[in-house]
Amino acid sequence: MNPLLFLRRIWAFVARDWRLELSYRMQFFLRVLSILIVVTTLFFISKIFTGFADPRFSQWRDPLAAWLTGLAVLNYFMTGFSSLANAIRQEQVQGTLESVLMTPISVPTVIVASSAWDFVQATFFSSLYLVFGWLFFNVHYQGNFLLALAFLLLTTFVLLCLGILSASFAMVFKRGDPFGIFLGAGSALFSGVFFPTQLIGEYAGRVSSISRILPPTYGLDGIRRVLIEGQGFTQVQEPLVTLLLFLVVLLPLSLWVFGRAIRRAKREGSLIQY
Amino acid sequence: MTEQPSSSPSRNQDRSSAFSVDHISKTYPVPFLRLKKMFRRKFKPPVEAVRDVSFEVGEGEIFGLIGPNGAGKTTLTKMIATLIQPTSGQVTVKGFDSVRDDEDVRRNVGLAGAEERSFYWRLNAEQNLLFFARLYGLSGKLARQRIAELLELLQLGDLTRKRFAELSTGNKQRLSVARAMLANPPILLLDEPTRSLDPIAAARMRATIKSLTQNHERRVTVFLTSHNLAEVEELCDRVAVIGRGEIRALDTPRNLKARHTENEQVSIMFSAPDAMEVESALRAAFSIQSLILERSTAIDAWLLKFSRQNEDDVLDSVLRVLQQSNCVIRGIESERATLLDVLESYEEEETAGKEEGK
Repeated sequence: MNPLLFLRRIWAFVARDWRLELSYRMQFFLRVLSILIVVTTLFFISKIFTGFADPRFSQWRDPLAAWLTGLAVLNYFMTGFSSLANAIRQEQVQGTLESVLMTPISVPTVIVASSAWDFVQATFFSSLYLVFGWLFFNVHYQGNFLLALAFLLLTTFVLLCLGILSASFAMVFKRGDPFGIFLGAGSALFSGVFFPTQLIGEYAGRVSSISRILPPTYGLDGIRRVLIEGQGFTQVQEPLVTLLLFLVVLLPLSLWVFGRAIRRAKREGSLIQY
Repeated sequence: MTEQPSSSPSRNQDRSSAFSVDHISKTYPVPFLRLKKMFRRKFKPPVEAVRDVSFEVGEGEIFGLIGPNGAGKTTLTKMIATLIQPTSGQVTVKGFDSVRDDEDVRRNVGLAGAEERSFYWRLNAEQNLLFFARLYGLSGKLARQRIAELLELLQLGDLTRKRFAELSTGNKQRLSVARAMLANPPILLLDEPTRSLDPIAAARMRATIKSLTQNHERRVTVFLTSHNLAEVEELCDRVAVIGRGEIRALDTPRNLKARHTENEQVSIMFSAPDAMEVESALRAAFSIQSLILERSTAIDAWLLKFSRQNEDDVLDSVLRVLQQSNCVIRGIESERATLLDVLESYEEEETAGKEEGK
């Protein structure tokens, strides 16, 4: 694959989506405002818990920092997971999927390019949670930012693989995606976005094992260990290796399934249907 | 029964092949048939959209595909464009297989579909084309240059900055043709390219299509589907008639019409000193059963009507008799079968076949 051509195609998608976004300016400002409102609300809720932090949960000594990290990272993870399926679905509804697939573009390029703008947006909006916390509510982060970034990227790649599987469902079944239900609702509840995952074990016993099969649990734990507890590479190897194993299994599987889904849609002549 | 095309018209002997369709069939599968069988659910039988179709299109040729709605025209076009995979058979475009080498096929083919919803409605004409040009691998500068050329060629120059949603249906269609031509592909698949155009714009579009195939530096091959039979007749070197997924006939428009009926209706307008004498002379000279002579008061002349076989010498003989009778010929009109007659005859055949099958 010619790398210049590959980049040119990704740029085509980013430029297209940027222009489409510009045609909906109001939506952008409302989203920024809603993030500010959420951060402010969480700041006041966190004040209820001042001085009551359980010493067992070291990442939750400052609940506002834990929540903001959780929300920022969850937003990024969910983008990784849902962007491709959303892009495919949108192209189906608009009727543009056939026109895109009519160009000499490969399956991996479609995957990366369709999601590219969503990642640009997610990077911006996720960083807003952290920036608003730092700017207005005195939230400070420490540790190795590069290591945190590595966790972020690794988890995002794993979720992108699940997103590719999800997009395959959108391609064939058009609606009804089991991964969306499982990961969308599951991550917020079981991955430790709003509370420590250990609490699930204390109150709901075996249900806590659900959090162990969700990749965001490891990504979020790793990022908080680095940014809030200041842990280094040797201390975060366990979640790092787990995420790598997820990636090794899911990447080839998801690409294979997506290729099969496109073939099936072409066989059924249903690329344009939704 | 499928009519076999005459003396190998499925292949254009004079030109090298641009693409070929070899025994392709398309059966739309029943979704999740195994699951349905497992749960013993009732299911509709699979739909056979295209059945054992074969032909070859030569470089620089304009090849037309006509047939009633639901005959399989769009399915066939999409199979050539790699958007639908054939159930069996093979489509080869410039030596590339449409399933195995689909990216290479798409590099050689531009498709202008009849679907209006294939652009981004909130982007303007230029932004839309720029996006697709980049997907075809054109650099920014080259893409803008090409877009400007195409918008000019298709008389869309003043609509460059207009949002797609605000364009008229005809202009949307022209934009679709412009997109198909972006990467300068050697093969254009045009699905009803003049459907929503006004008569002048349609005539210009036809001239553009014709000129593309006549450019000796880079001859473009055009595969055209249309319900406008006069347009097909005007443009196409060869035409295939498709019905219920099968090719019913394939030949030049002239041969198709000739195959439909060998007769031609001729009307001669003339003024004569004594028309009765002329009629007697004609009846004495020929045994034309259908000869009719009538007075046209509107033009103050006589009208002689008769039918003759294509390219026989009856017309020449009739003209001689008229001249010998001191008649002044005012005008001659001949009426041959049109592609509509051809299409209607195949539809009648099809309907009769259905009735028999009941």
